Amino acid sequence: MKGKHLLKGRNFKVVALVAAAVLTLSACSSDSESGGEVGGEINVFLIPSPSSTSIQSFIPEFEAETGIKVNVSETPYGEAHQKQLLSYNQKAGAYDIAQFDNTYLAPFCQAKAMLPLDSYISGSDEYDINDFGQGQQDYGKCKGETLGLTLSTEPMIQWYRTDLYEKLGLTPAKTWDEYYENAKKVQAAGFGGQIMGFGPNVSWWWMTLVWSFGGALYDENLNPVVNSKEAVAATDYLKKLLEVSPKGAITATGDDTTSKFLGEDIGAMLNYSGYYGMALDPSINKNAGNIGTAPAPMGSADTTHLAGWNIGVPADAKNPDAAWKFLEFVLGKTNSVKYLESGAAAIGRQSIINNADLVAMNPYLPQLEIPSSSRIERYPQIAVWPEFEVAAIDAVTQVLTGKQKSQAALDALNEKLKPILAKEPKS
Amino acid sequence: MLRRKNLRPVAQLTIPTWIFLALVVLIPFFYGVYISFLNINLASFLPPSFVGFDNYQTVLAASETWSTLRITLIITFIGLLTQIPIGILLALVLHENLRGTKIFRSILITPMLLTPVAVGLTYRFMFDTDLGVINWALGSIGIEKVNWLGSQTSALFAIIIVDSWQSIPFVMLLVLAALTAISPSLYEAARVDGASASQIFRRITLPLITPTLLVITMIKIMDFLKLFDTLFILTRGGPGNATTTLGLWTYKTGFVFLEFSRAAALGVIITIITLPVYFLWRRASRGVR
Repeated sequence: MKGKHLLKGRNFKVVALVAAAVLTLSACSSDSESGGEVGGEINVFLIPSPSSTSIQSFIPEFEAETGIKVNVSETPYGEAHQKQLLSYNQKAGAYDIAQFDNTYLAPFCQAKAMLPLDSYISGSDEYDINDFGQGQQDYGKCKGETLGLTLSTEPMIQWYRTDLYEKLGLTPAKTWDEYYENAKKVQAAGFGGQIMGFGPNVSWWWMTLVWSFGGALYDENLNPVVNSKEAVAATDYLKKLLEVSPKGAITATGDDTTSKFLGEDIGAMLNYSGYYGMALDPSINKNAGNIGTAPAPMGSADTTHLAGWNIGVPADAKNPDAAWKFLEFVLGKTNSVKYLESGAAAIGRQSIINNADLVAMNPYLPQLEIPSSSRIERYPQIAVWPEFEVAAIDAVTQVLTGKQKSQAALDALNEKLKPILAKEPKS
Repeated sequence: MLRRKNLRPVAQLTIPTWIFLALVVLIPFFYGVYISFLNINLASFLPPSFVGFDNYQTVLAASETWSTLRITLIITFIGLLTQIPIGILLALVLHENLRGTKIFRSILITPMLLTPVAVGLTYRFMFDTDLGVINWALGSIGIEKVNWLGSQTSALFAIIIVDSWQSIPFVMLLVLAALTAISPSLYEAARVDGASASQIFRRITLPLITPTLLVITMIKIMDFLKLFDTLFILTRGGPGNATTTLGLWTYKTGFVFLEFSRAAALGVIITIITLPVYFLWRRASRGVR
């Protein structure tokens, strides 16, 4: 009963005074932090992935070296960007570092949600931006400012079964015609010809083909051009590839595609290099030692579809200097080998790509060297991309399932995309 | 006066529940209606403004709204036609109290206890064209592989199979309860009068379980209108949008396109579609009582 009146009268005044003193002191301490030396703590927002696991493995060493405490929160991909957008909308300052998919660079850029990192990068010998090819230096850039560092470099490449190709006297395809012919020969020998994800992620492969066939998704004025003759040819070719693919490919996601290629007898696969981690897992890869990689076949245009994670500092971060220190520590040159060895998808630094020991363990690394002659195509840098993509997937699926011809489906898609692209902020 | 006095403690005791319900149901509902008149897009970072019925006009003009509504109705119609007759049949068998009924009943209700996500994942592997056990079984008797989730018809069929596997036990249990409530004397009298089994079913059983069947139908319609988890795991609405229901389209609009206000308008439309079902359900429930 006594406890009930604990906060009355004199006791209450004492507690109030102590609370006020604590609050004042803590406010002073945070002031000194922001204006003075790098220290304190940082909150890191990660998305479950090999890259995220690898980043976390550096935390104990970083904390011991710098005294900066690192708190990590992980959110699955499905909700990660929505959560980030909510946080940035509210200017909550909840995160000092955030991992994000390159597809979200455009909305983050429009909202000025991320801190430009150029001044940090130019002043950092440890990060050494010149260790990256030009295309990769630009990978996290929007309107000339670097809003995200490259957290993984994942071009769309050609994977093939060295044993099957050797047996049938085939070499990796250099053109799309060769790719189809190879697949046909492998299929005739009783195996799966080739595989790519014709299911819910079919846009990845469709875009790759459209660009490679010389087409585009929209022009400089944001008018859709998906019904061009190049895009139609690319879509027809995609449908033709279905004939030389295992039946289940029609519903395959990116993960399914890789699992099937590594677990079954399929001649070739077109997929992002970032999936190579699955090839290193003996429980998934039944064909270890027989997986070769080569650049994606070339069409009428020399393009490379480049994907991969970004990581940056939100504009409302409370401790941006400490955040940069952490990024520099994990993604800098010194720890770059360790970063790859801890299981992350590779970052295409020249020093990594040309490291013979690393290449022996990760034979796909040379594919990250994108020749300067090849035009790099990223996910479209538009805020309405999710809606655009769903419409495109629906149209391409109509073609793949035989419900519509390519030209008709893409004409309809082009019309559907007009109001969607019209919503894109022009600035 | 006395009645009002007696009611007061009851009202006081239920106040916390009403407050709780208001917090978790009414406030989100009215907030949803409110934001359906704004133009909130999570990625735009612009302050929301009032746009009247623009979102309603947009969603009603979009072909996806109608195509996904059509898919929802197809799933609902075929699902009901599958689940209710099979549920009745199983209930009639269990009502006979044959040997092993108790074990059989326990086994039959197991699917109801499983989470839809786990069920969806399991069936996704089972329906896999190249590695799935269903195609393996079909292949072993000489039937060619079916691309279950690769075309609209077979994917819709697969969704209905999975939902029926989980929902039939529910129908069966409710019908069984209704059958138990029928007085055995009615059956005895019918048999004495020389009625056949089919006449007994048509003239006695069916009319007496009809109110329960109506309740089941209404509950199932509401279930189908909000079908999401199994569908999301099984097909993600694909191929393309071929199995996207109105509920899944609302999700995509809100959480993939980040068009919160448009998704709220779709939510209000779903509520309006569900309202007649709700009122029919209430009428049917009175019949059961």
